Amino acid sequence: MRLRVRLDALRVREFVNLIDALEILKQPLPEDASHFRGALACGFTPIHLQAFLRAHLRKRLPGKQVDLDIGLFGDLKGNIERLQKLPSDALFVAMEWQDVDSRLGIRTLGGWRTTDLVDIVESASEAIDVLKGSLARASSFRPVYISTPTLPLPPLFTVSPQQASSFELQLRQLIASFASSIAEEPGIRVLSPQLLDELSPLRDRFDVRSEVQTGFPYKLPHASSLAELFAALIQQSAPRKGLITDLDDTLWAGILGEVGPEGISWGLEKHAHLHGIYQQFLESLASAGVLVAVASKNEMQLVNRAFERPDLRISKDNLYPFEVHWSRKSESVRRILQVWNISADAVVFLDDSPMEVAEVKQAFPEMECRVFPKDDYEAFWTLMKQLRQDFGKSTVNDEDLIRAKSIRDAEPLRSVATSSRSLSDFLQSASASIRVQFTRDSRDHRAFELVNKTNQFNLNGKRLTEAAWSAYFDHPDAFLMTVTYEDKFGPLGKIAALLGKPDGRRVQIDFWVMSCRAFSRRVEHQTLRQIFAKFEADEIRFDYQPTPRNGPLQEFFADVLGASQQPGCSLLLSNFSDKTLELFEHVE
Amino acid sequence: MSSKLSMGETEHRLVRCFSLVFPKLAADEIRAASIETIDEWDSLASVTLVAVLQEEFGVEIDLGDLPELISFDAVLRYLEVRSVPRSAQD
Repeated sequence: MRLRVRLDALRVREFVNLIDALEILKQPLPEDASHFRGALACGFTPIHLQAFLRAHLRKRLPGKQVDLDIGLFGDLKGNIERLQKLPSDALFVAMEWQDVDSRLGIRTLGGWRTTDLVDIVESASEAIDVLKGSLARASSFRPVYISTPTLPLPPLFTVSPQQASSFELQLRQLIASFASSIAEEPGIRVLSPQLLDELSPLRDRFDVRSEVQTGFPYKLPHASSLAELFAALIQQSAPRKGLITDLDDTLWAGILGEVGPEGISWGLEKHAHLHGIYQQFLESLASAGVLVAVASKNEMQLVNRAFERPDLRISKDNLYPFEVHWSRKSESVRRILQVWNISADAVVFLDDSPMEVAEVKQAFPEMECRVFPKDDYEAFWTLMKQLRQDFGKSTVNDEDLIRAKSIRDAEPLRSVATSSRSLSDFLQSASASIRVQFTRDSRDHRAFELVNKTNQFNLNGKRLTEAAWSAYFDHPDAFLMTVTYEDKFGPLGKIAALLGKPDGRRVQIDFWVMSCRAFSRRVEHQTLRQIFAKFEADEIRFDYQPTPRNGPLQEFFADVLGASQQPGCSLLLSNFSDKTLELFEHVE
Repeated sequence: MSSKLSMGETEHRLVRCFSLVFPKLAADEIRAASIETIDEWDSLASVTLVAVLQEEFGVEIDLGDLPELISFDAVLRYLEVRSVPRSAQD
């Protein structure tokens, strides 16, 4: 079996021709097609970039009519401020050198004397500060996606081309500092210059003739690459949640049962360095909240001894659970999924044996199953990048840091969860406390993430774009409720989010999700109890939709709603009071 | 071997180019299109049309020639004069 690598997400190159882009835009849409309205801010004439961006967005958002508002020539800052006032789902900003000082372009003849260079750097610094403020303001209305200058600087420095001028380096430093600063803003995403470099070589970007004659500075393939990455930024799939790894010839080189704990290797000296990089990579994933488990045909006693080696690049604490025995790998995977309580399509399985990979793939077709390329450096490098694509996330939050530990700590709960009486006894002794927060602040990234990645306890399976999430709070009464849980086994963090609107003594709930780590703690009962109390409500109405994946929510609704469990159902306070179970948490 | 496109083939390809740049035009309107009769035919549309022609026919068009390219017929004549090679897009 060949290593399966999804190139689509890493290096798409769907089309680079303007004709192809226009063909896509010409394809008919249904009259009632929903709209994606974006805004493209740049200081140059966007002509073909606009066409490419619309086309790439059409590919990414099938069935949607894509409209792009644009600004005026030569006024990036003004365009950002003008466009932010228009209703739109996203603001794209294509920044170039002339936007920080027009003398860094070639259409303005402002002077390249040696005495001008100091002034250019100073004015660029001031312009960047102003841009930073404009972008921060714009990002509070809608998500902002920005590319920092992509074109080569013109030959205005006095040094020969082989040498970097100190002025050039100062300008680059200004841009780097600007980019790192705005990348910290929650509503701004900076396009990766490195990936753009891979797609579009620097020498093939600048179209001097087009810049001079029309004010459009890009060669068409570069415009397409830039548009392609912008579109990919906006349509990122939900990150996967877990990775299951083999040990022998995967986490380390060598067969543990044959060479023993001292014989396995992952260093340069035994040409096993790829395995060391892989360990380091898994440690990185784990530190960002990715669940990492082991499925290995081995002896547990030997494995324990191997993990005692101090030179391992990954801590055993970051791996859970360990399925180490001689049964089928698919059986190990099944058990791991049960412990993690996540679905197979949220997981990547890695093993050096094509046969094992095939066996797991057959049992879990939805799972991403890959062969670890132990002897192929290029394939290994591609694999690392692909795993970043699978697990990449914009921010690492508090819940990411405790996820693996909370699953490990929930082991006692899993053993009693099937019995109502023993579960009550257990919960009573768990010293749990929950913190309930009601807010109208849309900048809760964790709540947004929960809505967009939770499948099992999910009211209707609906997802929200960042723009739609912000727009939800345009309703004057809309609220976000979040629930944070902790018990004597440790914190689970923010584990539930709910979006709704009160209407008299009725509360409409449009979104309700809860992390699978919080199951069997009756948090859902407590959540409803708090809503009834907070709004002094008699009735809660749900935008409920059964989906193929929200079985746990359906089971809960079957308990509290009985036969009235159907789309658009509601729960009366009187009925809920009859059905609710004993709750033991302390509520803050 | 490279040879010149026939008049009919050039015209057929040109219709396609116009339909991409002016998607609202019906097929029978394209051959009669001119900068005076098509509201959407502004300077930006001209630049887009030139870029599409360059891709489709593999020719380099100087934007200084834009004043010549003011109707479907004028563009067709322009391409004919420049002897669009058959190999351009084959």
